[in-house]
Amino acid sequence: MTRLNLVLLLAVLVSSLYLVNVQYESRRLFTDLDKARSVARKLEADNESLQVEKRAQATPLRVETLAKEQLQMRTVTPAITHYVSYSAPAAVASATPGRAP
Amino acid sequence: MSRSIAYTSSPLLASRTPVWRSKFIVAAIALGFVGLATRAAYIQVIANDFFQKQGEVRFARTLELPSNRGRILDRNGLILASSVPAPSIWAIPEDVERDAGQLQQLAKLLEMPLAELNKKLEDEDKTFVWLKRQVDLPVAQEIMALGLKGIYQRKEYKRQYPEGEAVAHVVGFTNVEDKGQEGIELAFNKDLVGRNGSRRVIKNRLGQVVEDIGEQIAPVDGPDLQLSVDSKVQFFAYQKLRDAVLINKAKAGSVVVLDTVTGEVLALANYPSYSPMKRQNLSGAQLRNRALTDTFEPGSVMKPFTIGLALETGRVTPQTLIDTGPGKYTLTGATISDSHPNGVLTVEGVIQKSSNIGTTKIAMQMPAREMWELFSSAGFGQKPQISFPGAVSGKLRPYKTWRPIEQATMSYGYGLSASLFQMAHSYTVFSNDGKIIPVTMLKNSAPAVGVQVLSARTAGQVRKMLQLAAGPGGTGQKAQTIGYSVGGKSGTAYKQVGKGYGSTGNRKYRGWFVGMAPIENPRIIIGVMIDEPSAGQYYGGAVAAPVFSEVAQQTLRMMGVQPDMAVKPQIVSKAEEESL
Repeated sequence: MTRLNLVLLLAVLVSSLYLVNVQYESRRLFTDLDKARSVARKLEADNESLQVEKRAQATPLRVETLAKEQLQMRTVTPAITHYVSYSAPAAVASATPGRAP
Repeated sequence: MSRSIAYTSSPLLASRTPVWRSKFIVAAIALGFVGLATRAAYIQVIANDFFQKQGEVRFARTLELPSNRGRILDRNGLILASSVPAPSIWAIPEDVERDAGQLQQLAKLLEMPLAELNKKLEDEDKTFVWLKRQVDLPVAQEIMALGLKGIYQRKEYKRQYPEGEAVAHVVGFTNVEDKGQEGIELAFNKDLVGRNGSRRVIKNRLGQVVEDIGEQIAPVDGPDLQLSVDSKVQFFAYQKLRDAVLINKAKAGSVVVLDTVTGEVLALANYPSYSPMKRQNLSGAQLRNRALTDTFEPGSVMKPFTIGLALETGRVTPQTLIDTGPGKYTLTGATISDSHPNGVLTVEGVIQKSSNIGTTKIAMQMPAREMWELFSSAGFGQKPQISFPGAVSGKLRPYKTWRPIEQATMSYGYGLSASLFQMAHSYTVFSNDGKIIPVTMLKNSAPAVGVQVLSARTAGQVRKMLQLAAGPGGTGQKAQTIGYSVGGKSGTAYKQVGKGYGSTGNRKYRGWFVGMAPIENPRIIIGVMIDEPSAGQYYGGAVAAPVFSEVAQQTLRMMGVQPDMAVKPQIVSKAEEESL
């Protein structure tokens, strides 16, 4: 009877120590999971703000400003049209080159 | 041996312990156990709740899970407004260490003078001071990296508007508390806000979350809102308008682009505009959404309605001849004049040459009530049914108060007022075979269901007249595009200066153009208004029609509408002057 009780006591001890260990491990894992989650949230937020930034870099307004200021480009209007006519080389070689109406 | 001392038997040991003492000890120990058991029972059973709560207070925390405000997208899903994290920096002045070097660094990161920072930290009685709201995330991280005592940050969101000033008036903006203040942000504030969530957790001594307790309420982000606006069309409209305002040295301008099939607003731009992210020193002129809030007398833009009504009721046909005489016409003592004598015109010619006298003569054949009914069913004097703050109704007086001269002036657009948006909207009557369709700011792919105002036949006839008005010999020739047939009506008006319309040389004008393309089967309606052009030209046909032309061409091309005219270069000669 005493032997059985001793065995049981030992089992209880081992089991409770194991429980403490598991509890500790689970908390550690949970902390890791929580950290990973917050990293995920942060990455999501980063993704969002980078998307906005990407869009802001590519808006027509910005492209227009850059084209005008850095590349000295102008807005096209049909008022400035150059007609390029192609004539067969044998017929009239020096035909109308290009004219601007 | 006898003298030996018996160490094992000491007289002291021999003294007998009284029984009561051992009993007393046993009793005391037993009492101790009873006390412990009682205490245990008290803690575990009787006052369990209290201790449980006290424990929780010490290690359980409720974490708020902030939700994100919904994004605003254009019709193609491009971002017009989106929230990004931007922490706010705050301090407990008492706890902040006065280390000049570190404070200097902090001031630099916060982009404020050191003196200002010191002033904020001066009052040591305060336990909370905002140092700066909504700083950029990288800056906030640098500040935290400084590791200053007494400096904290709070997670907040900041609205970003990548498209900037081009869509500023449509999208509007939010305040620092993330509440909509203008435009769509205000109109759809309720739909855009999310619901914050929360979770209850246990934290260990290091501040790490070790366990979830209780229920977790997930945050619900605000739903995305997709507008009808096309950011490309919007940009072109804004760009062309801005250029026109600058070239004509005008005070301001507006442009509205409507899809005639679905009733969607494809673009709504105003100039001057503002950048929604830099709102310091904003003026009222910049903030004003002129297309919706500024009303003016529609002038010649009304003529097609008067003529349309006359055609509908069979009083005239497009070929009926009207004598507009020498350019002056007297009605009950008042003189109505045309910009130049037009002689005898057909009804078509009246629209084409924009003759006030011709329109008056036709209008005087009709009762005021009929005109009023048509005008109000076309949306004049009514607040546009559009979910947008600040839209105004304009003025259209009840027909019973109209005097004959007023009926005459109203027939050609004076004595009533409307916003550019209302004018553009009213033209859906002509573009949609006599039906006025509801307009919307939200994406909608189903064709709009309209209300019949005029017959399809009349609408077709008026469209043809509008085409003439925008063609050779008309007032709006500069509205011509390459590849697409257009039709529209220009308008010009004196602006009120003081008590009258100002004297010659001191006059202020407003020029506008409302038109549609392609004219046979219109796909878009564009309204353009230029306020106070002062570079010599001021007729709507000269200042606003070119904007129409460019916007119409770009928009139709982007929408994939097939050109209905052979592409050929055409040089527009001097446009006809219209009557004011």
